Amino acid sequence: MKLLTKYNRVNIAVTVVIMLVTGIIYYYTISHILTGQIDKDLELEENEVFSYVTKNHRLPDVYESNHQQIVFMPLGNKQVERRFLDTTYHDSDEKDLEAGRALISSVKVSGQNYRILVTQSKVETEDLIQIIFLITIGVIVSLLVILIILNRVILKSIWKPFYKVLFQLKEFSLVNNGVISNTPSTIDEFTELDQAVISMADRVKNDYQNLKAFTENASHELMTPISVINSKLDTLVQTDEFTDKQSNLLNDIYGTVTRLTRLNKSMLLLAKIENGLIQDNQLVDVKDVVKECIYQHEEMVQQLGITLKTTLGDKQLQANKSLIEILVNNLLSNAIRHNHQDGELSVYLDSEKLIISNTGEGSFDFGQVLKRFHKSDGSEGIGLGLTLCKQICDSHGFKLNYEHNDKKHAFSVRF
Amino acid sequence: MKILIVEDETGLRDSIEAYFTGSDSICETAKDFTSALAKVSVYRYDCVVLDLTLPHGNGLDIVKHLKGNGHNDGVLIISAKNSLSDRLTGLDLGADDYLTKPFHLSELKSRVTAIVRRRTFNGNNNLKFNEIDIDLDAKAVKVKDVVVKFTRKEYSLLLYFIANKGKVVSKSAIAEHLWGDSIDIADNFDFIYSHIKNIRKKMVEAGGNDYIQAAYGMGYKFAGV
Repeated sequence: MKLLTKYNRVNIAVTVVIMLVTGIIYYYTISHILTGQIDKDLELEENEVFSYVTKNHRLPDVYESNHQQIVFMPLGNKQVERRFLDTTYHDSDEKDLEAGRALISSVKVSGQNYRILVTQSKVETEDLIQIIFLITIGVIVSLLVILIILNRVILKSIWKPFYKVLFQLKEFSLVNNGVISNTPSTIDEFTELDQAVISMADRVKNDYQNLKAFTENASHELMTPISVINSKLDTLVQTDEFTDKQSNLLNDIYGTVTRLTRLNKSMLLLAKIENGLIQDNQLVDVKDVVKECIYQHEEMVQQLGITLKTTLGDKQLQANKSLIEILVNNLLSNAIRHNHQDGELSVYLDSEKLIISNTGEGSFDFGQVLKRFHKSDGSEGIGLGLTLCKQICDSHGFKLNYEHNDKKHAFSVRF
Repeated sequence: MKILIVEDETGLRDSIEAYFTGSDSICETAKDFTSALAKVSVYRYDCVVLDLTLPHGNGLDIVKHLKGNGHNDGVLIISAKNSLSDRLTGLDLGADDYLTKPFHLSELKSRVTAIVRRRTFNGNNNLKFNEIDIDLDAKAVKVKDVVVKFTRKEYSLLLYFIANKGKVVSKSAIAEHLWGDSIDIADNFDFIYSHIKNIRKKMVEAGGNDYIQAAYGMGYKFAGV
């Protein structure tokens, strides 16, 4: 529920309740005052009868005035209690019954008790109350409407900076190097929020940049010692004759340094892609890249006795060539390495997609293998191959998919 | 050939110097921008092996200086930065090649040799080694005037060996040279042997010598006679 809706609901409910209670109190107060007024009229009439009787020793003539009737009734010896009561008023002109107020009293004329019943129509009073009631209702309704509109207009404009900040927060992305701009507001809370968000974004960005820069710098700095080790190894093997034991050790060191280099290069590449530092786009002929990759892998394909099927259509795209090479290389070498003896490998390329599918045991969780340093059992890789593929695809807007059926794995890249 | 090695990392500079010195090369070194600039201003080299990140300056300025003064020295940039823009800037300025660290010394030698060859034998791009005659433009090999058909990888391997004759070239270096560094190299060691076997066989069948010797299971050596 929106704050405005919630606020309006509470506001309206409270306003309506207060208005209703006020209305009821108002109604009863006015009603009471007006009834008192009528009662006074009735008493006045009674007094007139009393004074008439005292003067003339007889009952006055019964007359009918505007909205007032007097009825005398002989009582005999009976007494009657003086009281006011609500009754109906029978207007002689109009046939309908109206609400009325009556005073029952008694008078003694020549030893004879008479009951006096003075009745007065309350129509005017009721009309008055009705008008007052209508006005009250009108005030309530217009007040509500004005409240709602006012709330809407004022709150909307008041909350504008808040929504602007919120929108910027939603759009904020570290990867895209998002910026949160200043949102001026006359309201202290929003200014504070804005400042807090801006300083938070700056801090987060700073930390993120530092982390990225660290990864990149660390990988970068490692390259120099690795190249020294590499060159020293190359120099060492020139020096003398080696025993089998020594040459085995040297081979192991060579292998490890190579692995270290590859690992480091992959990490550096990942960091660079994530930092958006690789943008050198050029026109890449994917068909040529795929052909070259297959050529590079021909020995492995032959050794495993893999049947290679290729259907290569033309596809050119604007991309970083070395990244596309890495993408195809990684997918292809995975498809070969995880293949079995006399297996099958098919490479399909058209203008929309590249599909590399191979025979192979088992299946795996695609989400898992995309994680960094995830390695399948017995894999000799460094566990960054598919992560790199995914990053390369993401950075170029491609979609990397995996399907598995019938002991066949298929990786597809949709351009 | 006369080489200048501009590299601030002592370990690497010494290794390169040791690898290049001897056979038929004279090697000089510079450890920072100033001394490098002083050397290229006075002396001419067949090839300058140039690191980009140097104390007191950027290696690219040395390339600018060379080309700006009309010197035709070959330039091979070696850098830890594997960025295409650096590479393109370097090549645009007139550098001949770009090699990313870390690299094998044999790869460096092969690249430097190629640069020097291109600069020295203008027009006549033939490489002769004893009875082997290679037309570098046509990528055709003749052994004792007999045309020998090599595959792309075999041809590339042969050139690599000749550039590094007399040196032990490790399997890692060979694999990286043939398949690039984006392919897992350990997978390919077995295939090196079969390529070398084929080269030997073809050479011997054409009446040539078998120059390639296995070196203690670590690599191979092209015995330069």
